[in-house]
Amino acid sequence: MTAAKVSKPKASLPSARPPYLGFGLGLRPQHYTDIIEGSPDVDWFEVISENYMVPGGQPLRMLDKIRARYPIVMHGVSLSIASTAPFNAQYLSDLKALAERIEPRFVSDHLCWTGVHGVNLHDLLPIPYTREALDHVVARIDHVQEYLQRPIAIENVSTYIQFAHSEMPEWEFISELTRRTGCWLVFDVNNGFVSAFNHGWDAQAFIEGIPADRVVQFHLAGHEHNMSHIIDTHDALVPDEVWDLYRAAVERFGPVSTIIERDDDIPPLADLVAELATARSIAEDMLPELRKRRAS
Amino acid sequence: MTRPSPSRTSPPTLREIEAQLQAAILTGDDTVLAALADGAHASRDTLLGVYRQAYTARLIEVLMSDYPLLRSYVGDVVFRELAHSFIAAHPSRSQNVRWFGTPFPEFLKEQGSAAKHPALAEIAAIERSVSDAFDCIDAPVLGFDDLAAYPPEEWARLTFSLHPSVTFMPAATNAFHIWKALNEQETPPRGVCLPIPEHVVVWRYGATPKVRLMMEEEAMIGREARRGASFGTLCEMLAIYADPDSAPARAAGYLQAWLTNEMLTSAKVVARNRRAHLARRAAPSSSSA
Ligand SMILES: [Fe+2]
Repeated sequence: MTAAKVSKPKASLPSARPPYLGFGLGLRPQHYTDIIEGSPDVDWFEVISENYMVPGGQPLRMLDKIRARYPIVMHGVSLSIASTAPFNAQYLSDLKALAERIEPRFVSDHLCWTGVHGVNLHDLLPIPYTREALDHVVARIDHVQEYLQRPIAIENVSTYIQFAHSEMPEWEFISELTRRTGCWLVFDVNNGFVSAFNHGWDAQAFIEGIPADRVVQFHLAGHEHNMSHIIDTHDALVPDEVWDLYRAAVERFGPVSTIIERDDDIPPLADLVAELATARSIAEDMLPELRKRRAS
Repeated sequence: MTRPSPSRTSPPTLREIEAQLQAAILTGDDTVLAALADGAHASRDTLLGVYRQAYTARLIEVLMSDYPLLRSYVGDVVFRELAHSFIAAHPSRSQNVRWFGTPFPEFLKEQGSAAKHPALAEIAAIERSVSDAFDCIDAPVLGFDDLAAYPPEEWARLTFSLHPSVTFMPAATNAFHIWKALNEQETPPRGVCLPIPEHVVVWRYGATPKVRLMMEEEAMIGREARRGASFGTLCEMLAIYADPDSAPARAAGYLQAWLTNEMLTSAKVVARNRRAHLARRAAPSSSSA
């Protein structure tokens, strides 16, 4: 390995850590009315970028209303940062236009690829953790950050397969990414749990293996346990073992903006707000300064 | 120069892995298995299967949410069959899954079992237009007051911009009536081909997509208005199409409906020297209308 350098984006990019936002939810269209008409106890919302990369109409109108009252983070699923196919120029330009329009606190996507040869499989697909792949992804993150004129945040995905020729654990790959590009990290606690179970890793080692000062967001979600493997379904309550791992993550990373990410079987907003209150109280019990910060 | 033969010991590149995994998902090719390690509790075949099943399941779900009324019309089993053949024939080429199902109505027109029931493709086309109207680009809405600003003598030379959400769709079947019944949760009629095609229009009213039928002449002048025909020309077309005496009143009625429906975005008066249709009418070769 080369000598460690201080992680920072290219000199031309802002390097300030995105602000701590508290406890939020993934914004889902089912909840637009309840959010706009009520005042749910939610500190911020994360939006799926692609849902708003449309020409106009209701989605953008709702987003404008919600962002007038809540901080917003943009979370994409199609950047395909690890793909060996060239970037889709239209996608990047639409992403940049959306970021300019809604001024998110930060922009994130996943450490994955979604397709090659012009095809999009609309999935978050895994890569081998090799030095070759690392160089490739570093160059791609550099390109995107340069293009968007801002550092991005990269999230660990749930993986089901692993490659025999991987040369390092996922956490080392992720650490190198952030060290070499200055990108931030979204730690999806559920994804970390799912991947660790499927591959027989130690989830605690994952948490200890990524640099604490680069993690700017947590995702919490539920999954489907099939005994021989866990599938990341995002359609259920956060299970106990994910809450346990969340405690370990709070312990190591400190105050980190957190959301509950529910993509399927979406319950009423109030149910998610209640689940979010659990996350909040776990973190506030461990970090009393958060409770004081909220009271002030 | 001879190309070096690939060494069996060198691991696959990222490019090779991605091509192999994609082929595994799209075509069932198993090459990538050689590069995988078994999981902690499951074999690599089982775990690769997670990606294969998720791919089809996800895209079927996308089609189900894009075409809920078609799904309830044909039932789950038939819908899944149609979705499976569409997914196999049309891998997504869009970065945004929002547009994955766009070619589905066209596919149904051609696809063996669905093509025998042409109403299916037309129901799907209506649902598609409704989705497209929903998040179509925003545009201003032309109001009665905007039009009142033009003096009566300029009305013949008024041209209109239609709202970008407005879509005219001729229907050879009773798809509109099936769509409407399904949308209102009533029992839909059987699909039949109509002796005379109907004219469906889809547009966005406020934030809400709307669907209605138009008279043939209304659809005709609607399309012409979109191409830039002046109000005077639209009146003349109506006069040729049917009773000339009532043409101005019919034109005024349609215009009023378009305004009320928020189908128009702007109006402007075209300069006299650009009234090509008048010049054409004055030409000796033209038939006397
Ligand atoms: Fe996530």
